[in-house]
Amino acid sequence: MSVLETRDLRKIYGSGDTEVRALDGVSLQVEQGEFVAVVGTSGSGKSTLLHMLGGLDRPTSGTVSVDGRDIFALRDEELTIFRRRKIGFVFQNYNLVPVLNVYENIVLPIQLDGRKPDRGYVEEIIETLGLESKLRSLPNNLSGGQQQRVAIARALAAKPAIILADEPTGNLDSATSLDVMGLLKATGQKFSQTIVMITHNEDLAQMTGRIIRIEDGQIVVRG
Amino acid sequence: MKVPNASCVRRLGLRSMAAARTRNIVAVLAIALTTVLFTSLFTIASSINYSFQQENFRQAGGDFHATVKRITWEQVEELRTDPLIKEDFARLFVGMPSEVPFNKSHVEVSYMEPAAAPHYFCEPVEGTLPREGTDEAATDTHVLALLGVKPEVGAKFTVTFNLDDSTSHPIPVTRTFTLSGWWEYDSAVVANNILLPRSAAEELCALGSGDSYSMTGVWNLDMMFKNAMSIEEDINQVLQNHGYQGEDPQGEHYLDTGINWGYSGAQLSNSFDPTTAIAIAALLLLIIFTGYLIIYNVFQISVTNDIRFYGLLKTIGTTGKQLRRIVRQQALILSLAGIPFGLLLGFIVGNKLTPVIMSQLSYQHAFVSFHPLIFIGAALFSLLTVFLSCARPGRMAARVSPVEAVRCTEGGAPKKAGKRERGRRAQSGASLPRMAWANLGRSRSKTVVTVLSLTLAVVLATMTYTFSMGFDMNKYLTHKADVDFILGHADYFQTGRGFHSTDEEVPESVISDVNARGGIEESGRVYGGVSAIKQFVTEDWLRQCYGAYNRPEIVDQVIESTDRRPDGLLETGAMMYGMEDFPLSLLDVLEGDLAPLSDPSQKAIAAVFNANDYNETRWDSNWTRLGDTVTLRYVSKTEFFYRDTGEMTEDVDAAIESGRPWGERAVEYEDVDYTVCALVRVPNSISYRYGVLGSDKFILGAERFKRDTGTSSVMTYLFNTTDEAESPTESFLEEYTNSVQPLYDYESRATYAAEFEGFRGMFMTMGGALSFIIGLVGVLNFVNAVLTGILTRKRELAVLQSVGMTGRQLKTMLVYEGLYYTLLALAVSLVMTVCLGPLVGGTVGEIFWFFTYRLTVAPIAVILPIFLVLGALVPLWTYRSVAKRTIVERLREADA
Repeated sequence: MSVLETRDLRKIYGSGDTEVRALDGVSLQVEQGEFVAVVGTSGSGKSTLLHMLGGLDRPTSGTVSVDGRDIFALRDEELTIFRRRKIGFVFQNYNLVPVLNVYENIVLPIQLDGRKPDRGYVEEIIETLGLESKLRSLPNNLSGGQQQRVAIARALAAKPAIILADEPTGNLDSATSLDVMGLLKATGQKFSQTIVMITHNEDLAQMTGRIIRIEDGQIVVRG
Repeated sequence: MKVPNASCVRRLGLRSMAAARTRNIVAVLAIALTTVLFTSLFTIASSINYSFQQENFRQAGGDFHATVKRITWEQVEELRTDPLIKEDFARLFVGMPSEVPFNKSHVEVSYMEPAAAPHYFCEPVEGTLPREGTDEAATDTHVLALLGVKPEVGAKFTVTFNLDDSTSHPIPVTRTFTLSGWWEYDSAVVANNILLPRSAAEELCALGSGDSYSMTGVWNLDMMFKNAMSIEEDINQVLQNHGYQGEDPQGEHYLDTGINWGYSGAQLSNSFDPTTAIAIAALLLLIIFTGYLIIYNVFQISVTNDIRFYGLLKTIGTTGKQLRRIVRQQALILSLAGIPFGLLLGFIVGNKLTPVIMSQLSYQHAFVSFHPLIFIGAALFSLLTVFLSCARPGRMAARVSPVEAVRCTEGGAPKKAGKRERGRRAQSGASLPRMAWANLGRSRSKTVVTVLSLTLAVVLATMTYTFSMGFDMNKYLTHKADVDFILGHADYFQTGRGFHSTDEEVPESVISDVNARGGIEESGRVYGGVSAIKQFVTEDWLRQCYGAYNRPEIVDQVIESTDRRPDGLLETGAMMYGMEDFPLSLLDVLEGDLAPLSDPSQKAIAAVFNANDYNETRWDSNWTRLGDTVTLRYVSKTEFFYRDTGEMTEDVDAAIESGRPWGERAVEYEDVDYTVCALVRVPNSISYRYGVLGSDKFILGAERFKRDTGTSSVMTYLFNTTDEAESPTESFLEEYTNSVQPLYDYESRATYAAEFEGFRGMFMTMGGALSFIIGLVGVLNFVNAVLTGILTRKRELAVLQSVGMTGRQLKTMLVYEGLYYTLLALAVSLVMTVCLGPLVGGTVGEIFWFFTYRLTVAPIAVILPIFLVLGALVPLWTYRSVAKRTIVERLREADA
């Protein structure tokens, strides 16, 4: 069974003359452990798709199932809780909580859920991402690459069903980008995580297992 | 769902708080100011209540909860073991002096256990209580003054007093004591005490007759319970525990008990005063609203600024409930800092204001209450305000959409893109004022709340000014007689006492002291009735009189127990004045002519009508009309009888004590018929100043009054002086009534003016203090709005500068923004003052009859320059701190 599945997903903004079809009937499936890249130009609808997959925004029609569960059947509060348990996010801007240190940022989603972090597992992630020496630092004192590694660690720590990465290397130089991509791929394999990454960079997309191309809100090529 | 995530949420809240230092300072100040308002209000209210109670205790004689009366020493020992009693003290009554100089004072000679002294307000300020085995005694300065003895420890004084004073055969004894200690006379305390050592008291009591009605030799046991909640139940329980009962005087094992009415009385009359309750409720609401305006604004602004942060938290799985908790928790922590500070400050402010108010209430003692409930109450109300205020910002944080937060991070496009666009378009004319105006429109709720907060203070200040200016001295004086000086017994002037008997008359010796001064142009005596004078009225009239204040059953009872003349008219009292020509000239004649009153050969009488506070005659306040005949019955001998058996009794005290229904009837009397020659009103300041239900008031000429009543007790002596003599007379009377003849007092035109100014001063002080604090809140709110407005736009301002706006232009724009706030507030205040003023003015006019509403905007004119300066300086000062960095730095910094 697919970990992630969308059916005929549509998101339409406005109406009449000003109608914008950000997503126009997207159906896709992602299997457990896959590393998928969603590629498209700016305005193609890829970010909207990611928001739908992550339950951040509600579609006009269609469904999204994560782990077999239709996430938009959930009420807002339930969806938030579902999200912190099942979905890890990695953003272009890292979006770390500036007032918490690295370790606190990593375990935040687990603690918000009222669970105790699995120490061994978290330490393994930290080690894999090479963050051992930075645990007490505040995000603003880290470089972009380091911040993104913290964000990846945070996404992994809650053992989510999928990780959604939105242009994770968009703010990084090319050397660091490759470094982060490598880590993302490695940790994905090591912890057998399903990862969906959005990017407009073909080279980076090539590093993943499958590429989904999106244009004008529709999937154009399956590869 | 309950999950153990509290600590993690708490940490988030705490850490994000640390990042908002300015917000914290403003919020703590706002909460502190709100608490100041609550605390001062509660301090004042509680102090008034406390002073009221203390006054009652002094009138009741002490502050103990209850007393078991007329018991033996063995019973004292037996009862005081009761576990319900927290504190107790016994008192052995010896006797009372009744001859000159004590004929007008209530003095009790007794032994008191030392613990009782403070409860009876008998703590020596110098010396000690009398020691056992000596001839010592302790007393107050009043007793010493009457005896002409200087208050010095060791002084000898001799007192003659009666044992068995309450019986028909008192035994006078004379003793000389050595003064062991003394305390200040407290005019609020009704009974003065001379305290003896126990052995001396017992020795004296042994000389008594042992008469069962005599108070001499009986013990009273005063007691305090754990609290004053259920005094009656407690004391009955104590009696029951020892096999006594206090309910049926005829029953077995009955003990007489007394409950200090100072407790019940104080609570009843205070809590059931609806005007006070409404005023306090209105003030509470006003304070909550004031606090809400600023605390809400502070949180709303801070949440708006941190919306990205909240969105981010939501994205990574923080629920709305948790976000609300973060906001609430921050509010709580800020309250923890602000409330104690406010409590302290508020208590100080309250203490400063209390005496100002107290001086307007006729209490002789102003106590500042330090009750813990003041602080608990103020803290709770502040917390309530804080939580009310941060509820909406909390909801806003909770409802934040994660996508918007993500969008923010993506494009850097601010949340209110739509509104900003409008702002930009407004710039097309590139006019700075229009840009500034558009900027205010970006966050409408912030602008509205800030303006409202400032407005509140301005309106309040304007109202305060309007009202204190509207108190009309002339209107105030219409209720006072047009006379320079009124001299009377101190009780006459005191609310709740009044002129009742020869005890309160002004002796001719005092009048001649005054006359000896010279400078008196006109003068005259007002005699008051001190003998039994009856009149006869219809049942309907009497029913109407009593019905105004009583339930129908009570009225029926009263009518039934009233004596009826054969012609069916009912006998009731009459309050009589006898007036010399000068007082007569001060009366307000409604109909008829006063001349016949001055002719003692005519049987003429004037009927007195009351006025309401608006100076309108209440025609239902006397049954007679011009030309009517009034029959007055002057009673020279009365007999008392028990209503149940018809049995006669001579001893009216015994009748009262028995608890049986009793009545009185005239046995020797003279009826005189008078013709009503005039209907008049007596100015309040020379009237009885109190009334008795069913007793109409009448005036006779002085000569006729003395002849017919056979009495000549002067209630007041009225006189006008020459202009030159007015002020020396004032100082003479002040000195005279303070030191020479402290039993007497006076009122003068100057007293009234001072009274009026005092009242106005209180209003000004209270309103001024309230406006000032609310003004501070408003300004704080304004500073916060401008400050955050500039700080959060740091980058935008840098952008504007980078595209060519000069620093000067930028500052001009910011100053426009500041001025818009303050000027808008003034404009709204002006509109509100003009619209609401007459409305509120009318209401105030109904409460204070001497108020005339006059529209004034003077305070707004005074505030205008202050607001102009504030509106310009606050933005400039804030911008200066921002502008210390270069544009490039600022552009970069805002990115982070």
